[in-house]
Formats: sequence, structure tokens, C-alpha cells
Amino acid sequence: MSALLQQLARRQLVWHGNSQQAAYQAVSSGYPQLDQQLAGGFPSTGLIDIQTDTGIGELRLLLPYLQQQQRSGRLLVFISPPAQPCADMLAAAGIVLSQLVIITPETAKEALWAAEQCLQSGCAAAVLLWQVPLKLALARRLQLAAEQGAATLVLLRRPAAGLSLPVNLSLELKPHRQGLQLSVHKRKGGWPAAAFLLDMQQYWPALYPAADSPALPQRKAG
Amino acid sequence: MALYLYLHFPSLQCDSLADAETAGLPVAVVDAQHRIVQLNTAAAQQGVKLDMGLASAAALCHKLHLLPYQQHQQQAVLMSIAQQLYQLSADIALDEPDGLYLRLCNMLQLYQGLAGYRAALMAALALLPYQYYYASAATPLAAKCLALQRLNLLTEDCTGTDAALKRSPLSFTELEPDIQQQLQRLGIDSLGRLLALSTAELARRFDNRLVSYLGRLRGEFFHALDYIRPGPGFSRYLELLYDISDMAVLSAPLSKLLQQLQQQLERSNTLCHQLTLRLYCRDSETKSYSVGSAQGEYRAANWLKLCQLQLESHRLTAPVYGLQLEVTQFAPQQAQSDDLFQPQQGNVSALQLVSLLQARLGRNAVSGLSLQNQHLPEQASSRPLPLLQTRSLTGALLQRPAFILPQPRPLQEAVEISSGPERLCPDGWQLAAQRDYFIGRNSKGQWLWLYRTAQQQWFVHGLFS
Repeated sequence: MSALLQQLARRQLVWHGNSQQAAYQAVSSGYPQLDQQLAGGFPSTGLIDIQTDTGIGELRLLLPYLQQQQRSGRLLVFISPPAQPCADMLAAAGIVLSQLVIITPETAKEALWAAEQCLQSGCAAAVLLWQVPLKLALARRLQLAAEQGAATLVLLRRPAAGLSLPVNLSLELKPHRQGLQLSVHKRKGGWPAAAFLLDMQQYWPALYPAADSPALPQRKAG
Repeated sequence: MALYLYLHFPSLQCDSLADAETAGLPVAVVDAQHRIVQLNTAAAQQGVKLDMGLASAAALCHKLHLLPYQQHQQQAVLMSIAQQLYQLSADIALDEPDGLYLRLCNMLQLYQGLAGYRAALMAALALLPYQYYYASAATPLAAKCLALQRLNLLTEDCTGTDAALKRSPLSFTELEPDIQQQLQRLGIDSLGRLLALSTAELARRFDNRLVSYLGRLRGEFFHALDYIRPGPGFSRYLELLYDISDMAVLSAPLSKLLQQLQQQLERSNTLCHQLTLRLYCRDSETKSYSVGSAQGEYRAANWLKLCQLQLESHRLTAPVYGLQLEVTQFAPQQAQSDDLFQPQQGNVSALQLVSLLQARLGRNAVSGLSLQNQHLPEQASSRPLPLLQTRSLTGALLQRPAFILPQPRPLQEAVEISSGPERLCPDGWQLAAQRDYFIGRNSKGQWLWLYRTAQQQWFVHGLFS
């Protein structure tokens, strides 16, 4: 192998097609359809990059997974959420509120510092980080911290072109009338698949009324 | 038989500055009359002597670093030594400004004789940076007289100490200068010659100060000593030799104070949850920081990390000349048990993590979330301190958004309503303030939680995420 290739491999910029040990341990996402597409579910540790707009169902997608991660008695950390999280909704989804820590730092630098501390400490199972710009070197650093503390860092950010980050899983979410349109950009140990629709009607009937049911009237407002 | 030890510390204020930086630097303390009252070994090597005038001292050693004598600081240092020695010896009395009386006779059984006691005491004193001289005798005043002569005697044998006592000049006694002068005119220049005279004769010629002193020296009169009791809490002040105007440099002297705190906490097997750090600034008001640890710590390294994180976010406006560390409450140590089969990943516990985050980001930036028994959405979620175990009395309401906006904002776009209404009324059934909530979807595909007021105005109150 050439020196250049070796160097690229060391920085994890190229992958061997036959190396399977790089694949992560999967935890069920709570949606059978998604588990099938992701070959088991979300990674149990490391970085998950989710490119999404706010308010289209990104947290709903993660809730069963977060609940499962929290089951070990470790913490769930929200860093700079877009607004005040609602206790009713989280408790209804089975999140243990006493194991939830909300951090609202003033700057992006502080947010990243807090994320790294939480990941490294080993007492957080999952950290959700909203809308913080991330550079390649920082992402690598957070990935190492996450591996050290056996934790997951979920990055929720707007769709952005640019270099792909060294993450275990990268998803892009688009809103859809019946659920979410998902496309997998990158999955460690797997190939990117075509975009698919995740039907959320049976999980959240209030938000996604069945098209054929006349029971709920549709009204225009505003 | 009674046995007392006197410890004499000739240069407390000088030695309390000692660290790696000041090693080899000649330091002396001068009183208000510009006389040298304390000096360290480096200054003594240069020829500076006690009671020397400031001018001659400066002529002998041009690099001499001078400090004004501070009685308050001297007392504090003496008290801290007494508290550290309290672990070894039960009865310790302060002798201001620079000595300690220790009653030995009731401690010898514990240490199985004087040799064991001596070894323990020397080991404890070796850890402290102070110069000391000591002597033991049958009465406190005799021990003091011998220690001031720097004899370093520690023996149970009375004849040796008696002989030394008889040889002592009167200047090492506690007699007032006018009595000493009177005695010298009579040709009495040593304590032995004074003790040889009969007390009745002396009482006729001198006032009762001399008689009372000699009675206590011989052990005929009762000498009341005020033995210390260690107070709760920890309070230490450290004067800096140089003004420090950089927070990063401050961590070296701070870690020295924290080490002392750790020693005290370790001895009593306790930990503390909060400490107060005061920075005395030159020409500016004193700054006070309170550093907390939710789990409780005793290790100096962990406290230093928390202090540094807290100090990092502040700027020093004026140079600091002194540090004070104060702890008012200690808590007993509790052992933590970990799961044998699922060992913890890191070496930090959840409470330690929260303290770390609070130290850097501020107390308000880190919070938990709890569910309140309230029907109004803005009151249903509260933000208590993190990791509080709260038992929720209510079931969670379904169909609530993930995020509540702090201020409802007017709806300014077309929305497709998919469910509702749900009518919520504020307390007292104020019908005018009632709100009808709907779930709607805007053109960007975002799910909004909207409400319509009685005046038919529409607001966005939350985001389904």
C-alpha cells in the first residue's frame, strides 16, 4: 500500500470494503422499518449526525432510542435545545425526567466543551446537541470522547453541504405528510441506501391523521 | 509528675511565605519601630540579626525583602499550627505571639514513652515550613524559658532541666524590664541565684509580680492554661509575596491552600460541598467566589479543577495580594458502591459532572426538568436543580409539543390544522383569557402548537419536534 493511502487510512478518510470490525453495535430505533434499513438500528456509541429542520419530527424519531439508552440508569443531556423542553411530552414518551440534564450555554464554544465533558464522564448515555457548527477536528475529538465514555452524541443541525464528518451514522430528514422522509448519507460498515418514507401514523395519530378518515375535520387557519 | 513542652517559632510570618519561589530569597519582618523582628535563614546568612535597625539590615543585604509585622496574621498562623498538632496532642495552649504550650504528661501513655511522642511530633513539625525550638520542663514557664534559649531539650529527667534553668539569664524570663533591672542592680543575673533566695524575703522587697512568676516557675502556684478546642470549619489566609494579576498564576498558591484543606478533611474523614474563595485586590474591593461540588470533595486536585473553571470566566481588574479560603460546613464521607458487573465507564460520577458544568457555565445554565401538576403548559414544566429525584404525582398529558416557546409569537403563516381544539382556561375560569389549542402543520412541514384566544387571535406556543 502506498504511503499516501496509509496516511489516509490512519486518518480514517478511506475505508476498506472488507473490514467489518469497524461497524458499530446497533440498538433498536423503535421503528421496525428503520431498523431494517439501518441493519439493526442506531449505533449504541459514537456520533450520529442528523441534518434536519427544527420541528419536523426529529426528536420523535429519536425518543424510543433515547429511552432505551437511558435504561442503564445513565444520564440524558440536552445541550442548547431550541426552546424550553416540555416535561409532559418527554414523560409520556417514557423518558425518566430525573435523569435528564438540560444545559443552556451562552456560546458555541461552551456548548462543545460541555458536550465533551458529558461524553467523557461515562455517566451520560446520550447527549443531544442542537445547532452548533462543527469542524472536522472537533468532530473527531468528540467521537473519541464518546467512545471513551461509551456514550452517543446526536448532532441536530440544518442540512449543510461540506465535508462529511467522521460519524457513525449520518441521516437527512425531510418532512412528509405521513411521517419522515429519511435518507442515509453515511453509515459505518454499510452502504448508503435510497431515500425512504418512515410512516409515523400508527405512533402519533394526533399529528398524522389518516387520509381516509373523515372524523377529523381539516381546517385552514391563519 | 507534670511535664510540659514549649514550642517556640521565631519567624512565623516569614516562614508562612515559604515556597519554591521564595527559597533562597532573604526575607525579614519589621515592626512599627523599624526593628527587625523576624528573619529567615537566607537573611541570617547575610548577617542580618534580630533587633537590628532597618538601615543596617539594608546595608548588609541589599536584596532583603521586607514585610510589615502583622499581628493578626501571626495569630492565624499560630492557630493553624495548633490545630494541626491537635491530632497528636490533646492539650495545647497558645502563647501569643509565637509559642505553644503542650501538656505531655497525659499523652506519654498513648505514645509509650517520650521517644514515641518525640518521633510523632518531629514528623508532624517536619511537614510544616516553620522554624521551631523546643524544650520540656516540669512547669510551663520553665519550659518556655528553656525553649527561648533554643536548647531543644526533651527529657523526663528533672535534674538536667533544673541545671539548665539555674544557668538561664534573666532576659529569657517573663519578668518585666523594671524588675530585671532592679535585680541586676542587686547583682542577681541568673535564674539560679534568684531561685536560691527565700520567697518571703523577695516578697518584702519586690511586688507580687515577681513572687507570682517564681511560684508558677517552681510549680508551687497553679498556672491556668487555656487549652484550645478545634473549631468547626476551615479558614486560611495566604499573603502573596508578589502581586498576581493573572488568574492562571493564581492556581499555584491556591493549590497550597487546598492541600491544607485536604489534610484537614482527611484527618476528620469528612468532605465539603462548598468553599468560599476571597481574593484581596490592591486598591479595589475584595472579590468573593463560592465554588460548589454537588457530590462533595476532599481531594485538593478536584477542588483546584473546579476553582480554575470558575475563575477562568472572570477577569482580574486589580492585582491580588492575598487569598483566603473558607469552609463553614463539613459533611461526613459516604462510600459509594458501584455495580460489580457493569463497572462505571469514567471516573466521574453524575454529581461531579454537574458540579464541573456548573463551575464553568454558571449555576443557571445547568438544570433538570420536572413535571408539575398544572394544566397550563407554561407551568407544567419546571426547571429545578439537576438530578433531583422528584416523584411525579400526575400522569403526563399526551399531545404536548416537545418544545414550548418562552413567549408565544403571533401566527404569521398559513397552517393546516390536523387536530384540536383543546380548551385551556387559566385559573379562576377567566373566560376572557381562555385559549383553544390546535396542532397545525405549516408549509415547511413543521408541526406547530397553536392557540386561538377568545378575541380570535392566533399564536404559536410550541413546536412538535
